[in-house]
Amino acid sequence: MKSEILYPGAFPMVRVYLNEGETVKAESGAMVAASPTIDIESKMEGGFLGALSRKMLSGEKFFFQTLRAGRGAGEVLLAPTVPGEIVLLDLDGVNEYMVQKDGFLAGAEGVKIESKMQSLTRGLLGGEGFFILKIGGTGQLILNSFGAIHKIELKPNEEYIVDNSHLVAWTSTTTYNIEKASSGWIASLTSGEGLVCRFRGPGVVYIQSRNPGSFGNWIRQFIPVSE
Amino acid sequence: MNPTPNALCFGNGLPGAGAPCHVTLSADGLTMAAVGGSPLLEEAIAFTAMSVEAGGLDHDQLVVSWGVGASARTLYLKDPALIIAFRRAAPSALMAHLERAAEQVRRARHSHRALWGSAVGLVVGLGLMLWLGSDLIVEWAVARIPVQWEQKLGETVYQDFLSKEAVLKEGPAVSAVQEMTQRMTAKIPNNPYTFQVSVVQSPVVNAFALPGGYVVVFTGLMKKAESGEEVAGVLSHELNHVLQRHGMERLVKMMGLAAVVSILVGDQQGLIGLARQLGLELATLKFGREQETEADVTGIRLLSDARIAPDGMIRFFERLSEKDKERVELFSSHPMSAARAERLKAELAALPKQTPEPFTFEWKGVQDSLGASEPTK
Repeated sequence: MKSEILYPGAFPMVRVYLNEGETVKAESGAMVAASPTIDIESKMEGGFLGALSRKMLSGEKFFFQTLRAGRGAGEVLLAPTVPGEIVLLDLDGVNEYMVQKDGFLAGAEGVKIESKMQSLTRGLLGGEGFFILKIGGTGQLILNSFGAIHKIELKPNEEYIVDNSHLVAWTSTTTYNIEKASSGWIASLTSGEGLVCRFRGPGVVYIQSRNPGSFGNWIRQFIPVSE
Repeated sequence: MNPTPNALCFGNGLPGAGAPCHVTLSADGLTMAAVGGSPLLEEAIAFTAMSVEAGGLDHDQLVVSWGVGASARTLYLKDPALIIAFRRAAPSALMAHLERAAEQVRRARHSHRALWGSAVGLVVGLGLMLWLGSDLIVEWAVARIPVQWEQKLGETVYQDFLSKEAVLKEGPAVSAVQEMTQRMTAKIPNNPYTFQVSVVQSPVVNAFALPGGYVVVFTGLMKKAESGEEVAGVLSHELNHVLQRHGMERLVKMMGLAAVVSILVGDQQGLIGLARQLGLELATLKFGREQETEADVTGIRLLSDARIAPDGMIRFFERLSEKDKERVELFSSHPMSAARAERLKAELAALPKQTPEPFTFEWKGVQDSLGASEPTK
């Protein structure tokens, strides 16, 4: 499987080349177009219960779609729902990424996806909910963001503070704590930041340049209230 | 030979996400070899030169570090088999570190479990408290809403509603309703509201009250009523919804905690914005059974105080319940039960006897001014 990002920027697409017999799993609904040699299967990753728990708990789609080059090599075009960048990561079996639930776009066959329960404070306050995706295994992983995607590299014990709704993914060697944005509660709330995540290296944190929740609030004022 | 990676190495000149490498253990240390095209140099590190701790997001990785400055390296081991092998091979000098690492993991897990336990307890406790005390909280919050806010909220909806409807500006029906309202409001002690009552042309057999004292009576109701006292009964019921601030109670209940907070911080715009955000139509707020009963009881008392024959109210309600099939909207959510009628009769019996004073208008004339009654479906 080889991938290439088309139209980098706000409205990108990924072109995935598959050799005969290869598959790629993608977020359901992500396929835009494909060669006639590609078969689309719907598969519940991790069995029915696994899929159900992922759907119920992390809000991810119930089904992933599996695109299989069953009758010869071909290509697939994939795109996320929201405007924003796409990033390609190579998993080699040792590195692992924690991904917030809307961040997953597609992954090679060897990529393993599981829902992971976060610790209580992180779940309650982190803004990604109690469940996030833990993605490991081998092969290419394709993530998408809302807005541009920005990579922060942290050296061992280096720290960085991120507004939690801007998180996309981070390596599992990176730890983080939730804390108030300012020293006082009032200042934290009135600064518009509220709670932030303090990440501690080593590892990589991917953040998105737009906050989906804030965007939703902003756009809601323009939606007429129906009778 | 290209072994599979089993660890990630961090340090100067290495990728931010860590350089994959292959770690092998020997009697006196570990050897780290690069995997693939990684810029990592093969390195052998003695157990004596390294320090060990638990790390990673879940404290389930073994972190080995050595060196200082530019040559400092940190190695993350995740594979459980490798971690066990490491613990076996490591000398006792390092064991203390390792045990501390293991203890950290255990403690982290333990505190997680304790935290989850207490959180579940807290949620259950809070839920129980809210379930038992929600009415008290709502009443407490509503008591803190200034009447001016309530009026502003009601007026916005009232004007918006009236602009879409055919409002009767004058005529016998309007003066009749005004007379009823005046007689009743004069008997309300310490009335903070200025009641505004409009008659709207509509076949709907209904009347409703908005927070702040804005009341709408539909002509359908007036055509259906057999006397002015019956309309006055419904009006009294609606006025008491306002006086008891039932609308605000429903509103605060529906908007929940956010509303209580905006009341506390004195945020009137926030409250209105919240109501709009939720797309709440004040006019369609349904009152609860308890609120209906309260409005009934206080309503009949007000009628009696104003010397308006209170049996009109009971009669009208009874007639509505008899004609259930006609789908009368006023009480469709709370069908008139025999118990409710009995309750009103009992309440009436307990009130001091008043000699009713008739209205100055003649009801037949008022109804005639509204035109022919539409045939009911």
